[in-house]
Amino acid sequence: MPKKTSGLVKCYCLFIMLACSLSVMAQQAVTGKIINSNDRQPVAGATIQVSGTQTFAQSGNDGSFSITVPNANSILLISVVGFDKREIPVSGRADIGEVQLTATDASLNQVVVTGYTAQRKKDITGSVAVVNVANLKAVPGGTTESLLQGQAAGVTVINTGQPGGVSNVRIRGITSPGNTDPLVIIDGTPGSLHDLNVSDIQSIQVLKDAGAAAIYGVRGSNGVIVVTTKKGRSGKAELSYDGYYGTQRPISRGYNLADPTETANALWKEYTNDGLAPTHKQYGSGTMPVIPDYITPAGAHEGDPGTDPSTYALYTNQITKANKTGTDWFHEIFKPALIQSHNLSLTGGGDKSAYYFSFNYFDQQGTLINTYLKRYTARINTSFSLLDDRLKIGEHVAVFYKQNPGYLNLPGVNNANSIGASSREPGIIPVYDIKGNFAGTGSQDLGNSPQPVAIQSRQANNTNSDWQISGNAFAELTVAKHLTARTVIGGTVDNFYYNNFIYTAYENAENAQNPNSYLENYGWNSSYTWTNTLNYTNTFADKHHLTALVGSEYINNNSRSVSASRGSYYITDPTNLTVDPNLWTLNFGSPGSQTNSNGLTNIPGNSQQTPYQLSIFSIFGRVDYNFNDKYYLSGTLRRDGSSVFDPAKRFGYFPSVTAGWRISQESFLQNASWLNDLKIRGGWGKMGAINNINPTNAFTLYQSAANQSYYDINGTSSSPTQGIITYQYGNPATTWEEDIITNIGFDATFLQNKFDLTAEWYRKSISGLIFVPQPIGTGGLAAVPFANAGDISNQGIDLSLTYHGGIHQELKFDITGTFTSYNNKVESLPAGINYYDFDNSVRLAPGHPVSAFYGYKVLGLFQDYADVTKSPVQDGAAPGRFKYQDVNGDNKIDNADRTYIGDPNPKFSAGLNLAVSYRNFDLATFFYASVGADIQNSIRSSTDFPQQFNNAMSKDIALHSATLVNASGDPTNILDPTARVADPNSSIPMLERIANFSNATAFNSYLIEKGSYLRCKSLIAGYTFPTAAISRYRIDRLRIYVQAANLFTVTGYSGIDPELPGSNTSFGVDGGGYPNNQKNFNVGINLTFH
Amino acid sequence: MKRLPIKWIFTGSGLFLLIIMMYACNKKLDKEPQGALSLSNVATKTGVNALLIGAYAILDGENVPDAGNAYGSAGSNWVYGSIAADDSYKGSTPTDQPDATQIESWSLSQGSTTAYLNEKWTLLYGGIQRANDVLRVMRQATDIDPADTAAITGEARFLRGFYHFDGKKVFNNFPYVDESISFENGNLLVANDVDIWPMIEADFQYAVNNLPETQPNIGRINKWGAMAFLAKAYMFEHKYDQAKPLLDDIIVHGVTSGGEKYALVNFESNFNAPQKNGPESVFACQMSVNDGSSTANDGGNGNMGDVLNYPNGTGAPGGCCGFNNPSWNLANAYKTDVNGLPLLDGWNSGTVVSDSSNLYTGNLDPRIDWTIGRPGIPYLDWGLDNVAWVRDPASNGNFNPKKNVYALSQAGTYSSTETVFWGATQITANNYNFIRFSDVLLWAAECEAEVGSLDKAEDYVNQVRNRAADPTGWVYKNSAYNAAQGVYTNQTTPADKYLVSPYPVGAFAGNGQDYARKAIRFERRLELAMEGHRFFDLQRWDNGSGYMADVLNTYVGVEKTRHSFYYIVNTATFTKGTNEYFAIPQKQIDAENSTGVVYLKQNHGYN
Repeated sequence: MPKKTSGLVKCYCLFIMLACSLSVMAQQAVTGKIINSNDRQPVAGATIQVSGTQTFAQSGNDGSFSITVPNANSILLISVVGFDKREIPVSGRADIGEVQLTATDASLNQVVVTGYTAQRKKDITGSVAVVNVANLKAVPGGTTESLLQGQAAGVTVINTGQPGGVSNVRIRGITSPGNTDPLVIIDGTPGSLHDLNVSDIQSIQVLKDAGAAAIYGVRGSNGVIVVTTKKGRSGKAELSYDGYYGTQRPISRGYNLADPTETANALWKEYTNDGLAPTHKQYGSGTMPVIPDYITPAGAHEGDPGTDPSTYALYTNQITKANKTGTDWFHEIFKPALIQSHNLSLTGGGDKSAYYFSFNYFDQQGTLINTYLKRYTARINTSFSLLDDRLKIGEHVAVFYKQNPGYLNLPGVNNANSIGASSREPGIIPVYDIKGNFAGTGSQDLGNSPQPVAIQSRQANNTNSDWQISGNAFAELTVAKHLTARTVIGGTVDNFYYNNFIYTAYENAENAQNPNSYLENYGWNSSYTWTNTLNYTNTFADKHHLTALVGSEYINNNSRSVSASRGSYYITDPTNLTVDPNLWTLNFGSPGSQTNSNGLTNIPGNSQQTPYQLSIFSIFGRVDYNFNDKYYLSGTLRRDGSSVFDPAKRFGYFPSVTAGWRISQESFLQNASWLNDLKIRGGWGKMGAINNINPTNAFTLYQSAANQSYYDINGTSSSPTQGIITYQYGNPATTWEEDIITNIGFDATFLQNKFDLTAEWYRKSISGLIFVPQPIGTGGLAAVPFANAGDISNQGIDLSLTYHGGIHQELKFDITGTFTSYNNKVESLPAGINYYDFDNSVRLAPGHPVSAFYGYKVLGLFQDYADVTKSPVQDGAAPGRFKYQDVNGDNKIDNADRTYIGDPNPKFSAGLNLAVSYRNFDLATFFYASVGADIQNSIRSSTDFPQQFNNAMSKDIALHSATLVNASGDPTNILDPTARVADPNSSIPMLERIANFSNATAFNSYLIEKGSYLRCKSLIAGYTFPTAAISRYRIDRLRIYVQAANLFTVTGYSGIDPELPGSNTSFGVDGGGYPNNQKNFNVGINLTFH
Repeated sequence: MKRLPIKWIFTGSGLFLLIIMMYACNKKLDKEPQGALSLSNVATKTGVNALLIGAYAILDGENVPDAGNAYGSAGSNWVYGSIAADDSYKGSTPTDQPDATQIESWSLSQGSTTAYLNEKWTLLYGGIQRANDVLRVMRQATDIDPADTAAITGEARFLRGFYHFDGKKVFNNFPYVDESISFENGNLLVANDVDIWPMIEADFQYAVNNLPETQPNIGRINKWGAMAFLAKAYMFEHKYDQAKPLLDDIIVHGVTSGGEKYALVNFESNFNAPQKNGPESVFACQMSVNDGSSTANDGGNGNMGDVLNYPNGTGAPGGCCGFNNPSWNLANAYKTDVNGLPLLDGWNSGTVVSDSSNLYTGNLDPRIDWTIGRPGIPYLDWGLDNVAWVRDPASNGNFNPKKNVYALSQAGTYSSTETVFWGATQITANNYNFIRFSDVLLWAAECEAEVGSLDKAEDYVNQVRNRAADPTGWVYKNSAYNAAQGVYTNQTTPADKYLVSPYPVGAFAGNGQDYARKAIRFERRLELAMEGHRFFDLQRWDNGSGYMADVLNTYVGVEKTRHSFYYIVNTATFTKGTNEYFAIPQKQIDAENSTGVVYLKQNHGYN
């Protein structure tokens, strides 16, 4: 049993506290008690050192300690993770009483968990952003990754308002056209932030550069988020309840759509502008449109045949009144919704064990009706200490069950989901017909949109459940004085189930008689990781601090799922063609319509076919050396082997090296009283990424699928013969993406520790991107394999600045700002390839950012036929239509004139946390800004070009589109050779029945808008009851608060919300996404008992 | 002293375990693909035959992941063959399916970015790839005897020729891809400046030489079917002297894959699922429904390509979507004179068929009412066709498509009830006939008119007309419809004033070759309207003469004055020398030429 330990023993993980015995060389015993200055709770595990000696003690569970000092003038150095150090002179006392420690999350001595080890913050030479977990929790939300927005410099997060929706998390820019989700490590084992109970989080570190993340090797390229969950604390049991309850209010502004009268008038203009006689089943054929009383029967007025309710019949006469004022479809589907979270946690432990238990219930009803996330999470973290503290064994385990059905895109119907449909459904259609059934575009000549309320209402009983257990068990043995061995085995088992019922949508213009159908999916994913490490740490001659680590890791992932469906279910309510959810089993559908298959995984962002399996085996090492806390040198090396590549391309080495210089420790700066600490650091290293590879990429494979390879060669009409097709080509040459990062930065603390500043510059060079190259038609239809093709670079600056201030003792405030800027550029593509195109509107080409919008640039509108004549030759050119830029100057507008017309990457994003406390009151607010991103507003491709489907049109086009006049200024049409645009400043093209290259059909810059915004994400005001008033109820802490989230957004964007997640090749595209700007008002409580 | 051994034991055993684990885990990195076959699994007789089925499976032009809705690749070619010609309008609202609008108005010069063309291109090369896969994998197999090798090669090469032929018709400059060209060989950048007719002929010729006359499965190509395609290729090449002997042979000796002698059957039976693969069906795309094949986004093995081509509205056959409306022009073509002969010249003047404002009351060829849904005429067993079924009367005209539509009594049996979220009620098991026997007869008539006997030509035309004249195959009012047989049971009241007669003997010879040509071409239109052939017939007859531009610009000129597609899109003009073929998809040009070397050239007149 060691009598003393080095003062520089590193904590490998926060929860491992080395117990230490008392010295027996005593001359005089001194006792005391260490408490937290904030809540006056005892601080256990603090190290008490007699200054200038190697005598140590530790505080017990009640905060008390006893230490032997050589003489009465000794000075005690008291330190513990998460608190400022203190020096207490003994001054002859035998009991020095209470020693208050001030919590300092950001203090330099804070020990943070990085790759497989933990380091004091001041010793870190790589780029590690430490997230302030308190700030993180201040924003209400169901997924933890969404909460990272604006909280860590270098991390860009784009969120959706959909409860449980998937966010885009990008660490230092976009490193691939494919998935660039960072690696998430929870308590040492790969996991997911998505359903992690945010209340369980002790700390989050973001490893951004190679120096920090290269020890994760082939998985490190997109950055690593290291999460540590809360651990038990020895001492009395403590029960905490944290909860909030609130309401979410949808944005008051919906899509800016024309009302029925404006729409009808505009429709007439569509005809007259093109020189046609207007005619419409609803509005008649007169010189002016007439708004009918009924839309079914089409164009009917009161008293007309077919309007008598007794003649009502679904399909043949679904009598529907016109809504002459216009239905506000957006607010028919977006309604105020509840959000609540209740979290109980229990912590405590004995001398040799500690436990943490929590239970969380989270329920967010979406503002989009019938969307929700309900999640039940439980976590148990325990640790045990054996063999006189030389062996520690424990586990972290979290279990959740969630229901999160999302909202469906109905395939085929213009890819409509209810949100997109709410921009397309004409306002003249009411929600319900005269019998209370859904009204819709089945009323003729009103477009083809499905009905938004009907879509959402019919999804009310759909389910999507997920049950997951994740975590690990570990054992750590102190093998010898400076050597510890640790083994961790952990992982995730995930089971999911979802079903959808698709009703016959009788009210629609299209497919109103489709048989109903039902789809049911089950599946599981599992992954396990076994990690073994050996850690040596020692200090030589008091000044040479050395830590070395070697380890090995094996990862294995599997997934399998099944999907089945049937159609033509027995209808239990013929009046509205619904089927009782109790009959939602496969048995009640027609067996002739059944389909079944192994399907897709539901891992967010992962669309690999199941079943699949992959494995990774790695060995790695790390050495950290510092001289006298002044000069630092650190290196890591990892060798990874991955099953997803051909054996010849499987193994790779990933090194990194970093160095740091704590210049403030130099004698020439010792007298700079304004400077508390300054460290300059830099690093270089190499990492990899395999997120985007199909695990069977190296193989050419053949497949059989009923819809693709079967053929009814016998002419049976119902029993096709099995066929086989090549479904993917293999590419054995594919290997990981390689990412080389150079990072230079400094960390400074100055002006009496009031300011913390971290600034970093980096360059990430990604080479050998793994993605599917644009297929060449002559190759056929089998899937083209992932290849290493092209280089991308990101260059950027991360800044974070914190100010801790106070006017006087009772008014304190903290301000933290983060700033993230990256400049993303495609450096090269494979030899000879000039570009890759995605979706006809995004081009990947050297010199341009990933996901740049590519199309025709609108110069303005053609003013008259003289303008057309003198302009470059352009298809469909006419006054009132778009005039495109002749980019290549060849005097004709063709495909070669498409150019880069937008960049969805923000120039920078920034977060600002402001916290003020006065006595027992606290006030905190968080702002987030994203500046300089462009948006492709695809909603306008429907609302501003209504000829497409006769769908709803925007007020802009209905009221402010260009009009044509003749020489004498009278209205005219496009056939008139003297026609000119009346207002030369018009930028909105004229209304037309015709769609062509010069108005609706070419992707052009009309749809591109600026997407900058500033959002007040959270504003919280709280009150903490004085201890004296509540302690008799055994309450240690009671705080109540009110909160407003998304209080306001400042933006010039004309759509619903400028925050638009998507894939790396199609983000910033507004096609009717779930807005993330609902206002949220909560009341909450934090309560701790003992 | 006591602790040291423990330390070494721990350290030593730890390192030992590490080494063991490294060894073990490196082996664990070999993960075999799951749920898929490797080459060794398919390089067998069974596997190769299954690959061959896979090559047939794409004849419908559908079920291609990521290829869009694939109307543009429909096996029936309704977009290119019918709406781009004078058979029909696109339908629906004026710019629903804007790709089709561009195709119909021949304004593709910028629209070479349209998805439709790329779908077609991609799909055809998908078929070519699958056919080539059969040949490539077959060479790896060791259990296939030479006779089977020849037969399998025959089928695979036929399909390869078939897909190239379709590409040749649509794109003209369409690269030829044989089995030496593959992703794995890295030689996919194939130029489109080579005349590929010889290769198409060679594929068909090989099939003719090596395929059996009958096949164990009715849907398989046989010798005679392959010969019909070879003859068709010759027709497109204007090699009438080479086509004629083949056609003669087919007419005299040809049998279906089931061994039935080729013959004309009841007209509607060609478009009726329960009667598919009859003696008139030379080669068809086999459709099936309710077979467990449909998924959320596609129609499975049914006829997805024509899913839009139904009347529109809740009571209408299929219910959606009002596309592919037959043109006024086409309806007028069915006018017959007092002798039951077509009005070869004046057919599109005077009163307009089914125009309620000035109703045509003259004689009609009865085929009109199996080809066109007309107001007031029985629509199979769906009741009387009515104007409400037309989605946008201002631009869709007056008519509904019919040949691809199933009967109400067949709903659920020959139409899909599957779990498709879109279009189930419009997905059928109706086959699409690539070639039916009347097609063969009319080619033979053309050959006779060009290089043989006008009398013989007249005889072939009259065989087709005599079938149309058979009153048992007409549409009747006030009668039940027998969906199993494709006939009306009570044949007392014809639905309209039908009169169709064969040409009087000697009419062709008497009026000369030009007359004969005109009559044959007119007959092809009447017989094969709405089957995706018309555009390509015009293209074939044009042969650089400007004939096609004349026909279509004349058509458009009149249609602009009627409630038709061209009423709305009144700038549409067919450009001679350009619009006879469609544009090469820009996406493919971009992909093939992205190295800087120009492999794919855009067709003349397109940017």
